[in-house]
Amino acid sequence: MNIGIAQTDVRLGALEDNLEKHLEWVKKALDRGVDLLVFPELSLTGYRLLHLTGRVAVRPAGSALLKPLLEASRKLALIVGLVEEDGHGTLYNSSLLLSDGRIAHCHRKLYLPTYGIFQEGRFFGAGRTLSVAPWHDNVLGLLICEDLWHPHLARSLAMAGAKVVIVSSASPGRIGPGATPESQEVWETLIRSTAIVNTCWVVYANRVGWEEGSFYTGGSLVARPGGDVHCRAPFVQEYLLTADIDLREVDRLRWRLPLVRSQRSDIEGAP
Amino acid sequence: MIRRQDVRDRLRLNTELATEVLSTFIADAVETTASNGVVLGLSGGVDSALAAALAVRAIGAERVHAFVLPYHSSSPDSAADAASVARDLSLTLRSIDISPMVDAYFDSHDKEADQVRRGNKMARERMSILFDQAKKLGLLVLGTSNKTEILLGYSTIFGDNASSINPLGDLYKQQVWQLAAHLALPQQVIDKDPSADLWPGQTDEGELGFTYEIADEVLYLMFDRGLSPSEVAARGYPEKIVERIGALEERNRFKRRLMLIARLSGSAINLDREIPRD
Repeated sequence: MNIGIAQTDVRLGALEDNLEKHLEWVKKALDRGVDLLVFPELSLTGYRLLHLTGRVAVRPAGSALLKPLLEASRKLALIVGLVEEDGHGTLYNSSLLLSDGRIAHCHRKLYLPTYGIFQEGRFFGAGRTLSVAPWHDNVLGLLICEDLWHPHLARSLAMAGAKVVIVSSASPGRIGPGATPESQEVWETLIRSTAIVNTCWVVYANRVGWEEGSFYTGGSLVARPGGDVHCRAPFVQEYLLTADIDLREVDRLRWRLPLVRSQRSDIEGAP
Repeated sequence: MIRRQDVRDRLRLNTELATEVLSTFIADAVETTASNGVVLGLSGGVDSALAAALAVRAIGAERVHAFVLPYHSSSPDSAADAASVARDLSLTLRSIDISPMVDAYFDSHDKEADQVRRGNKMARERMSILFDQAKKLGLLVLGTSNKTEILLGYSTIFGDNASSINPLGDLYKQQVWQLAAHLALPQQVIDKDPSADLWPGQTDEGELGFTYEIADEVLYLMFDRGLSPSEVAARGYPEKIVERIGALEERNRFKRRLMLIARLSGSAINLDREIPRD
């Protein structure tokens, strides 16, 4: 599977501009033979929406905004981020998997950071379900940013059959004395440890650009089953990162390293 | 426990990365707002020199409009240093003497005004000119206040602290120096005693009563790390200075929150309705 990561900047609140940009990335990805193109968190809307959240919300079924993307998904699968309106008064921070002209899967962000500069819990409802995407042998699991910081989620996806965990992110950067942005060191540790303990591929798609004086790091990367970094994008600049992912690598590793299959649920005091 | 040496290490920046990121901040703001560039006042000091250098990297010298805005008591060295910064960065530097505007007000209405009021007026006159030039040419006013002076409130509200965008506002003074050295700004600009140059002989450290080195470290511990004044003093900082820095920070918070609006409606701007800018 040839996976592409669109490490893109996003215009805050500008749905039409962002849609157009998505279609440009699709074109570039098709030229590079990408089968599945992953966009960052809230890629169609921008991240720091605050009281704009409701104004850019979309009901995915029949959405005019999604139409061109669904059309494009006949040529390659897409994972895009948007504000999803459920029609019952709740907005979600969601990732949609679009494939063959339809919405194949929707992941609603489960953990909404509401601390420091993050305000998601004030504007979004938290998702309630987690499942692998019913697509291509059910090997894909979707998470959004903060979800990865709660390691039982990636574990659950792996146990449900995921061989690739996709993490769409809008992670802001911090710079200190170190060689890479400090935020990136933490992320890389998390991504690699997820790939180690779940013996799966981890695809991290982070955005770039500025919103309200805060920058997003970029530094998207793909970690192999076992935790090595397979490839990475540069910091701060837009970049199309592509990775040829061999799903059999997961099987081969799991045959000799049975961390997922040996997971127990009968230990008193442990979930 | 964080020790004094840890604080010093912590305040050391990856200058290359910070330069790249801060340059994209300026480029992004200019692009997002569809502006033609930026305008800033070059004082001859290291902060405005650094802001100018970052802007030149971000959008090119021809889109960076630099002004030197002297008052008749300003040190001639200030204008000379501003000129050397401009020369280094291939910037066209325009000079506007603010003495007639400032003097017109005090001479006809308040001859007895003290030097602080006069200094504030100068800072606001400069701000007023920069925003007017920005309007004229479709530019953003580039702020040059650093984190140390913002936290200490060592600035004139709606004067030098006013800007459209500020690339330096999260840099402590010694981080400004680090970046200035990294970008090879003129050595005399980096080396000289920081001064607002609002009256002859004024220096920041003289007026504040402590060094920037101490101020940065104490502010880092209090503001960034959340330590109490006594916890800071326990790390070997003079208690009196820690108290003074804490008091300045507290007393000047009003300068950091512009537009304090009395809420009546339940949909007050910034409180109930936080509409972000990109």
